[in-house]
Formats: sequence, structure tokens, C-alpha cells
Amino acid sequence: MRLKKLFLLDMRFQAKYGFYLLYVVLTVIYIAALFALPENWKEKAAAILIFSDPASMGLFFMGAIVLLEKSQHTTCALAVSPVHATEYVIAKVSSLSAISLVVAAILALAADADNLHIVLFGTFISSVIFTLFGIIVATKIASLNQFILWTVPIEAVCFVPAILHLFKITPAWCGYYPVNVCMDMVSGHSSSAIGFLGVAATIIILFVFSRLFVRQMWDSMGGVKL
Amino acid sequence: MIIVENLSFSYTKSPFISGMSFSVPEGEIFGFLGPSGAGKSTLQKILIGMLRTYQGSCLVNGIECKNRTKNFYENIGVDFEFSTMYEKLTARENLQFFSSLYEKKPRPIDELLETVGLEQDADKRVADYSKGMKSRLSFIKALLHDPTLLCLDEPTSGLDPANSRIMKHMILEERAKGKTILLTTHNMQDAAELCDRVAFIVNGKICALDSPHNLIMSKGAATVTYTWVENGEHRASCPLEQISSDERLKNLIAKNRLQSIHSSEPTLNDIFMDVTGRTLL
Repeated sequence: MRLKKLFLLDMRFQAKYGFYLLYVVLTVIYIAALFALPENWKEKAAAILIFSDPASMGLFFMGAIVLLEKSQHTTCALAVSPVHATEYVIAKVSSLSAISLVVAAILALAADADNLHIVLFGTFISSVIFTLFGIIVATKIASLNQFILWTVPIEAVCFVPAILHLFKITPAWCGYYPVNVCMDMVSGHSSSAIGFLGVAATIIILFVFSRLFVRQMWDSMGGVKL
Repeated sequence: MIIVENLSFSYTKSPFISGMSFSVPEGEIFGFLGPSGAGKSTLQKILIGMLRTYQGSCLVNGIECKNRTKNFYENIGVDFEFSTMYEKLTARENLQFFSSLYEKKPRPIDELLETVGLEQDADKRVADYSKGMKSRLSFIKALLHDPTLLCLDEPTSGLDPANSRIMKHMILEERAKGKTILLTTHNMQDAAELCDRVAFIVNGKICALDSPHNLIMSKGAATVTYTWVENGEHRASCPLEQISSDERLKNLIAKNRLQSIHSSEPTLNDIFMDVTGRTLL
């Protein structure tokens, strides 16, 4: 019940700050770009678009969301409420994953992608991973500049290997790298059991750290550096 | 309700709060008074479980604050000195959201809004509220889940006299319902009007703890000041307890020559300065 309320509040918050409007505009631009591309480029272009934007929006938007919450002191209000860090993290991840899935579905349909269900599942797990990364960084920063600076290494280790993997210019063992597994799925291909296990382990580790850092952020509202 | 024993806390290596002990029974309004940086907000943060790296013991509702779980907050309402609302949501949307976080049935939102005079602005975005309106909204947010312990930080700050009066009336009503209220303030008049007991906090230590009345009476006797005319106006004072031995006053009364007479007690602020050697600001 409380989780549902947090999820709905996050969606309302994102709507009020224009996130959805922004994605309507971006989706129109992306569709136009897809239609302008030659037919044989569409599938890979759609995979790159989905992976680098709707699937990873959590990484970019979490900084803005948490900084807005900090500036309005709502973080203090949540720190002294019965809300658990687990609920806070799940609400953030699920609300951003919801918009990721909608945008990804529209782009995949526009590109006439095969295996829509695999594309959407890949988008979902990518969104979870990137949003958790976003939460970890956002809880530790005090300004948007800091956030941008701290997300650069994450982008480097996530986007570069995934795009190289999409164009098959990486060794075979790189196929087990969790973000490459995500990219495989976003481009409509299933992965091996080992690949899935790697993704699951990554999500669990990121979730544990996100929860820990949210707790530390709430504790730091008392004024103690942790 | 609250038992604090030998409490010490530090942000750095040097102690910020040291050796504090006091207790607050159920249904009492307890005030923390002190200048900025004295440790009163830190103490309140410890009591609401936001600072958990303290030494000593701090029991609130029978729970050691450092071991609190999130359920601890089901019975605590906190009104910070600043707004803690989602600015782009309306007052009603904020109250509906925050009330939904608790297991208890919330108090009726419309009634609370009406009590603080915000019923006409309930559907206005909080970003468009004035400072005073935000203070009133924050106060009723702390009451939403009907907590047994209310922690109020400068609740009348930024309020005009009429709204300040309404707020104080509501605080007294909450006490009448049996709530325990912790009040952190610079405002001695508020403390004297509202608090059953106050603690003067300076440099992380409690310098005095008693009811405002006892503090005033124990530290400074009331004085009587009178004036009369005799080749111009004259003024004299004497302590209230020595009034019967003031021959001049007796003489002036006997001859009906007094022009004015009034008694005056020291204020809580005078007592604070007397006890701590500090002013509040």
C-alpha cells in the first residue's frame, strides 16, 4: 500500500516536472529519426536509441529527482516517516522503468523490431540497473555538476562496451558482461543462463548499495557526515 | 515518555552535547531554550532518531533512539523549522500523500486545513504559499497521523500575531488530548505561555530545568515600583517581599499621595540571561 503511494507520488512528481512531456517530444524526434534511416539500419539504431535513452534515463534523471527532493527538504520528511529505504528505492526504480517501457515499446514498434517481449524485458532490466546506479550517485552528491561528473565513469563502463558488443567487435566472453546481456535483449536477442545470472547478481548488488546509501542519506539529514 | 540519561554527542572530536539527563512525562509540553548553536536542535534530532551516534541512553516511547526502526515514526510527528513539502503539489495533495505513509487512520485533512485557516488555499501549489502559510501547513502535517509525541521546531516563526495565537491554541489542545510536545524555540514568550517545563541549553549542557513560573520566582523576586509628586515626580522601587517594611510607601499610601504603583516580575529572558550569562540571539 505504502509502496503503491510512493510509486504514484514519484510518477506525479515526474509528470509535474515535465519528464513525461519531455519524453513525448523526444519519442517523436526518435521516431522521425528512425523513419529517416535506411531499412537495414533501423534495428540496430532502435537498439542504440532504446539502450542509450529510455533504458538509461534513470541514471540521468535520478540526480535531478533526488536534488529536487533535497532542495525541498522532502528527504527530511521521509527520513522521519515510516517509509523504508527499500520502498523508496523500489518506487523510484519502478516509476522510471514504467516510462522507459512505454517509450521503448513505441520505438521498437516504430522500428518494426522482432521479439518485442525480449526487447521490453531487456529495457526493463537495463532501466533497473541504470536507475540503481543513479540512486547510488544521487544520494552522495550535493549539486548537478557533481552528479554529471560522477556519472561519466558509469557511462564509460556501460555504454562503450554495450555499443561495441552490438556491432560484434568485442570478444565472445564479453557477451557475459551484464550491460552487454542487456544490450543483446534490447536488440531482440535472448541471452544465456550465465548472462542472466550475471545481470541478476548485478541488480542485487546495486540494490543493496542503493538501499544502504538511501539510509545514509536520510541519516545525514541529521547533520552528521557519514 | 522520554528518559534521557547521561547523553553525550559530538559532530567532531570535541563534545557538542555532554552529560545531559532529564525526563519528560506523557502529556507535557517541554521546551528547549537556548541561543543558536547551543545544541537544542541536535538534541531534538537525537530524540527523533535522526542522530544515532550518541553515547548514554535516550528512550522515547520505551525505544532506545539509536536502535529505532522505521515503525518508531508511527507515533512521532515532526514539524521542522523549514517546509518539507513537495512544492509543485498542492497542500491537499501533500497532506494526502504524507498521511498515506502511516498505518493509522489519518485525521480529516479538511478539518486540519480549516483549523489553520488554509481551507481556501488547499488546492493551491505549495510553491505559491507564503512563509507563514507553509509554517501552518507543516504544523498540520505533523498532526496528520495523530502522533503521541510532537516535536516542534520554532512553530510560530514567520507567523503574524493572529496565526501565532491560533497555532499556540492548537498546541495547547494537543496537550489536552494527552500528547507529549517537545518545543524548540528562541521565543521566550512562546515558551513561557506554552511550556510546562523548560530546559535552558547553552554549550551543549542543561543550565536550568524547571517550570517557567518556578524559574522566574526562584531567580528573581518581583518588584514594586511607585511614583509620587513632591517638587516634581519621584520614582522608587522595593522588592515585593519587603513591601511592608518600606516606610515611605506606607506613608504615601496613608496620605493618598501615590501617583502610580505597579508590580513587575522578571521575564523568562531575564532569568535566561541571569542563569546563562547569554542572550538568546
